[in-house]
Amino acid sequence: MNDEMAIETHELTRRYGDTLAVSHLNLRVPRRQVTAFLGRNGAGKSTTIKMLLGITSITSGGGSVLGRAIQDPAQNCQLRRDVAYVAEDKRLYSYMTVEQIIRFTRSLYQDWQPAAEARLLKQFRLPPRQKIKSLSKGMRTKLALLLAFSRRPELLILDEPSEGLDPVSIEELLQEIVGAVANGVTVFFSSHQIAEVERIADRVCILDQGALLVDACLDDIRREYRRITLSFYAPPPKVNPSLPGIKQVRISGRQMTLLATENANAVAELALDLHPASIEVTPVGLREVFLETVREN
Amino acid sequence: MLWYKAWLETRSRFAASLVTLTLVCGLFVHHALTMIRPTWTVDFNRLLYITQEFLALLWILSAVLLGMGGIVYEKAVGTSGLTLSLPVSRVRLQSVRITVGVLEAAAFGLIPWLTILAVSWRARMPLVLAQVAFYAALLVGGGLVYYAMAVLVSTVVEGAYSSTAIAIGLVFVTTVALDSWFRQLNLWRFVTGNFYLDVHTFLLTGHFPWLGMLVCLGVAALMFVASLLVILRRDF
Amino acid sequence: MILKLNPSAGHPVYSQIVQQVKHAIETGVLRDGDLLPGVRTLAQELVVSPNTVVKAYSKLEHAGLLEIRQGSGAYIVAKRRVRSRAEQTRAAQARVQILVRGLLAEGFSDEEIHRMFAAELFYDVSCEKRP
Repeated sequence: MNDEMAIETHELTRRYGDTLAVSHLNLRVPRRQVTAFLGRNGAGKSTTIKMLLGITSITSGGGSVLGRAIQDPAQNCQLRRDVAYVAEDKRLYSYMTVEQIIRFTRSLYQDWQPAAEARLLKQFRLPPRQKIKSLSKGMRTKLALLLAFSRRPELLILDEPSEGLDPVSIEELLQEIVGAVANGVTVFFSSHQIAEVERIADRVCILDQGALLVDACLDDIRREYRRITLSFYAPPPKVNPSLPGIKQVRISGRQMTLLATENANAVAELALDLHPASIEVTPVGLREVFLETVREN
Repeated sequence: MLWYKAWLETRSRFAASLVTLTLVCGLFVHHALTMIRPTWTVDFNRLLYITQEFLALLWILSAVLLGMGGIVYEKAVGTSGLTLSLPVSRVRLQSVRITVGVLEAAAFGLIPWLTILAVSWRARMPLVLAQVAFYAALLVGGGLVYYAMAVLVSTVVEGAYSSTAIAIGLVFVTTVALDSWFRQLNLWRFVTGNFYLDVHTFLLTGHFPWLGMLVCLGVAALMFVASLLVILRRDF
Repeated sequence: MILKLNPSAGHPVYSQIVQQVKHAIETGVLRDGDLLPGVRTLAQELVVSPNTVVKAYSKLEHAGLLEIRQGSGAYIVAKRRVRSRAEQTRAAQARVQILVRGLLAEGFSDEEIHRMFAAELFYDVSCEKRP
């Protein structure tokens, strides 16, 4: 097993009847980095995470988390000691109080950080004796996050962590994530919020209909992906979209846009051969990459 | 701390059951005190028998309610992700839940009987320890089958209301159906001592049915194991 | 020192940090011996991955502009020739200001002006070698 990877999957597949919720996924999540998992609703992100944690069974394929096989229940139980997970639901035991669930969680993990617990309790303003069922959704989310961030696990898996949080809390959450990585924690989080992902992610994995479409370092995307817009005096000529480095070609009236994923200047040189009236090269934000990738699929 | 969680989860149900069952005992003692001696021994025994039938019924319903919950229920309320991501095996989760439930059911079975015993002795009523032991053992030992059935239903059926309804339904159906066709196998009659009742003295007589108990405990154990297997194979 | 980062630009964030630090040194905002925040502190302040800060500091160190001392932190290294470059940079900044103000007066928008500069610099930026 590769020690560099916190999560590694091989052809991980989950089938529900005729549908492939997750299709032959080969995921690589390196240690000590922030890897973001982007995808539409129903793309298979939560299912993947559940398979990693042994919550949902695997149809075929397999993988390892922190060097331990996810398909083996005994190893999966072991790896969960070193993983902190915040589920999408963020629901907690309604019959417990804030203080009871903290005590409960603390007792099950060796990596508890009492200082972090105290700090977060104060920062989130969580009343220790209050029953969880009477907490607002935002408070519950914060409590769920506290249970994860009061630990120093090897891997932190967050499923839509900022959902239900106000902007100030989101900022605090991102700072916590970043602080955890600075402490050596690997962070793997799924999100819809492209802006957040763009700020803190080192790597981005885009999942659509169960398949991994993009698995790249965010800096590489920033450096390499370019949108080349060509304007012509006459209707533009046809361009072979399967040329290397071109992900997509779109024509609208007398304009053509190309999405170049690598060697943008080589592509631009090729484009010059088409004798455009003007050529414009602009960077591509993650939102655009996501939308283009997913629409095309 | 899994025990702590299981306790917190069930303590309201436990407390409510204990209070209700002890109240029934209170009623028994109250009625017993109004009886006239010297004929009261048979009347007393009859009263005891009828009371324990109520006690048994309430105990069974309480045990069924106690058996509800668990990971499958947690799926409905959304906390199954949290529980299943804990570094504990599903076997351990389910075993702790079952054990705590068994202990609680035994407690709210035995405590009311001990209360009857204590108060009756104080009031010098002709309560025989052997009879109490007989009733209590049948109730808890035989009744565990109902608890086990409830646990199994709660792991198979999703949804709190559906599983409760089905479990209670099963209790009644088996009691009624078995009575018409397989009277000898009617668990209700076993648990309330009906098979061992002497209709003249209204006392439970004969040897204690060890074999019957063993069979009950065996069936309960099988159902617990079945619930474990269901949990192991389930996706959440 | 205040850093303005744009995560959607076509520029890795670490290189934006590098450029802004370089610019700050060139204009004298950061001086020789100034202490930059630790990786964790800066990461949380900017809300970026610590790996980004590490890459930025590493690049600056390679460029000879930063000295990372174990246990104390990252110190700016600004040689004399860099300091005199500050004068040049300030003068150049003034010329850019005149040009940009002129273009704005002619009715060009911020974005258009950005694009013109970017197009001019495009080949330079995209040819930047990877670490």
